[in-house]
Amino acid sequence: MMKNILTLILFFALYVSLIAQQSPKKNYSKLNINCKTCHTCDVPTKTDPCLVTCPRDKMTTVYQSADKTPETIVLDQLVNSYGPVYFPHKAHAQMAEMGGGCESCHHHNTSGPILKCSSCHETSRKRGDIGIPDLKAAYHRLCIDCHREWSHNVSCNTCHVPKKDLKNVKDEKAQKKYYSKNYPIILEPSKIVFKTNYEKGNLVTFYHNEHNNKFGLTCTSCHKNESCATCHDLSKNSNTKEKTITVTKSNSDNHKKCSSCHQIENNCSMCHQDKVAEPFNHGKQTGWALNRFHINLSCAACHGEKLPYKKLDTKCISCHKNWNNETFKHSITGLQLNEIHSQLSCEDCHTNNNYSAKTTCNGCHDNYSFPKQVPGKIVGKLN
Amino acid sequence: MSGSSRRDFLKTSALIGAGITGLSISSAKAAPKNILSENRMGVLVDTTVCIGCRQCEWACKEAHDLPAGNIASYENREVFYNMRRPSENALTVVNQYSAGKGSDLPVDVKVQCMHCDHPACVSACIVGALSKEENGSVIWDTDKCIGCRYCMVACPFQIPAFQYNKALDPKIMKCDFCFERTKEGKLPACVEICPVEALTYGPRTELISIAKDRIKRDPDRYIDHIYGEKEAGGTAWMYLGNQEFAKLDFPEPGDKPAVGVSESIQHGIFAYFVPPVSLYALLGGIMWINKHRKSSDEEEK
Ligand code: SF4
Ligand code: SF4
Ligand code: SF4
Repeated sequence: MMKNILTLILFFALYVSLIAQQSPKKNYSKLNINCKTCHTCDVPTKTDPCLVTCPRDKMTTVYQSADKTPETIVLDQLVNSYGPVYFPHKAHAQMAEMGGGCESCHHHNTSGPILKCSSCHETSRKRGDIGIPDLKAAYHRLCIDCHREWSHNVSCNTCHVPKKDLKNVKDEKAQKKYYSKNYPIILEPSKIVFKTNYEKGNLVTFYHNEHNNKFGLTCTSCHKNESCATCHDLSKNSNTKEKTITVTKSNSDNHKKCSSCHQIENNCSMCHQDKVAEPFNHGKQTGWALNRFHINLSCAACHGEKLPYKKLDTKCISCHKNWNNETFKHSITGLQLNEIHSQLSCEDCHTNNNYSAKTTCNGCHDNYSFPKQVPGKIVGKLN
Repeated sequence: MSGSSRRDFLKTSALIGAGITGLSISSAKAAPKNILSENRMGVLVDTTVCIGCRQCEWACKEAHDLPAGNIASYENREVFYNMRRPSENALTVVNQYSAGKGSDLPVDVKVQCMHCDHPACVSACIVGALSKEENGSVIWDTDKCIGCRYCMVACPFQIPAFQYNKALDPKIMKCDFCFERTKEGKLPACVEICPVEALTYGPRTELISIAKDRIKRDPDRYIDHIYGEKEAGGTAWMYLGNQEFAKLDFPEPGDKPAVGVSESIQHGIFAYFVPPVSLYALLGGIMWINKHRKSSDEEEK
């Protein structure tokens, strides 16, 4: 009974502070939220609102894209022995997209405007409602649990600028520079070797940046619901380009990331091998080496977005459908055609549109052959 | 003047004598203040929130005129390699343990006097130097303390520390729940400084319902146990945690007030162990009486 009353009092306090923040005319029954989000009974009344206990994850409705959020937020309400904290909000919002989202900090924020922390968290530690942490504790709790996970310390100066240094951090650029020395630079790993316990091939070699570049991935495509320490952990020496990780997590957890794109059933050997694999080589693996133009393209540029990728035929015209003697700039091959030859259609010299085979001059000339005779001017290295 | 002090001395000596001969000692003891107020205060320590910054250690020393040193030096993590106990120079210490359920982070535990509802130290003190106050604090009077260390032995949490390095008049030291500060309406120094409010100060009954609410809301974060709600008959300082408290070096004193609190056992102790000081007092008293009797005899002659 006592507990119920206390819960009610707690909620009332929260409710009052929310009301105080928002327009007093707001009618909650008209808002697009399910009543059951906050009330447990069908007919909540003023005397018995039958409120649920803190549905932290259900109440939150802050869904803002990270890029639209403020770059820096100055936290200066509690300035005492330290100066203000210049909180790089956008950077944290972007990182939050890889784990937790906005609600990892903006908890209990019901539909409506985004509330300031101080709307609920009082600035004084000596206060009536001790059920909710005060503002100092609220700030610190949000920051420090992630920060100490990767930094393994609880140093104040990671976020707080000591008063003597305040003059050095007047503008945003200086603030960024000041803080950057506190943070490890995260290098994108190039090669990760996972040691697994799969007998028929215990090593999985993953070329991290190759995957990103080839498949046009961003961090958030794979990194979801992850702890900051996955990338930032200072003690695990995460800042190396090549690393070996011994896999301890369960099978399904490990496979989830790959299986969202790759078909993994009965396809173990695609990743699992008994030696460290070479990086992907189009020529070796498909029999069709990429030339200097194709090598720079993402896989999707030729194979399309749909996975698994289909095998393409090797005829240029299969992809370059609109190339003809007028649209194709022949000089790019190292040979600039003279006026007469540029009038001809491609297959007059490239028999059957086969561009890897030797060209023929026989259609018009007797005893001519390329490159003995040149139908124009050599302008670069011939392919 | 000398007559009245002589009378008091005789009375005390006689009573101690009575105690030694096996009569009830409880009347001989200066009755300690031992209040169990409805509104007594307490602190809820949430070990899942504490970050082990040790600022509480610093603030406690500052508030008690103990050499505290530079606050930045408390960022040192190496102290966690050894388990530490509160001492006469540090009334509270923070120890670190490996992670519990639902987290990869280490667990930090602040240790200090628990301010028991039924304090064994108060019961054990033969000169009534320790007292349980209206606001829940268990404090002591340095002037009364004779350094006998009975409280040290009686405390189920091994809290009172003895000023071993003081040659003259060594006393007992322990957390006093910042009695002087709270009297002035301030928060205990450790509660005030804690950056994450791992320490919540409030009426004990309210703290228990807050603790129950936290466990209910976040069953993955906490084990279902408020250490200190029942331990040793209940304590003013209570703890929440994410692993068994025994793993965090908390003693398991049971739910009954500690041995030594119940009067019968106490009588037993006093029947067999005579505190040396009382013995001195008795002998001294006899000598004093004899001497005075002699001098008054001489006067009478
Ligand atoms: S913890 Fe020990 S010293 Fe503190 S009140 Fe209880 S018995 Fe006394
Ligand atoms: S309550 Fe006061 S004496 Fe006790 S540990 Fe905290 S600061 Fe020290
Ligand atoms: S000040 Fe608070 S967070 Fe820091 S060690 Fe003490 S109790 Fe833990």
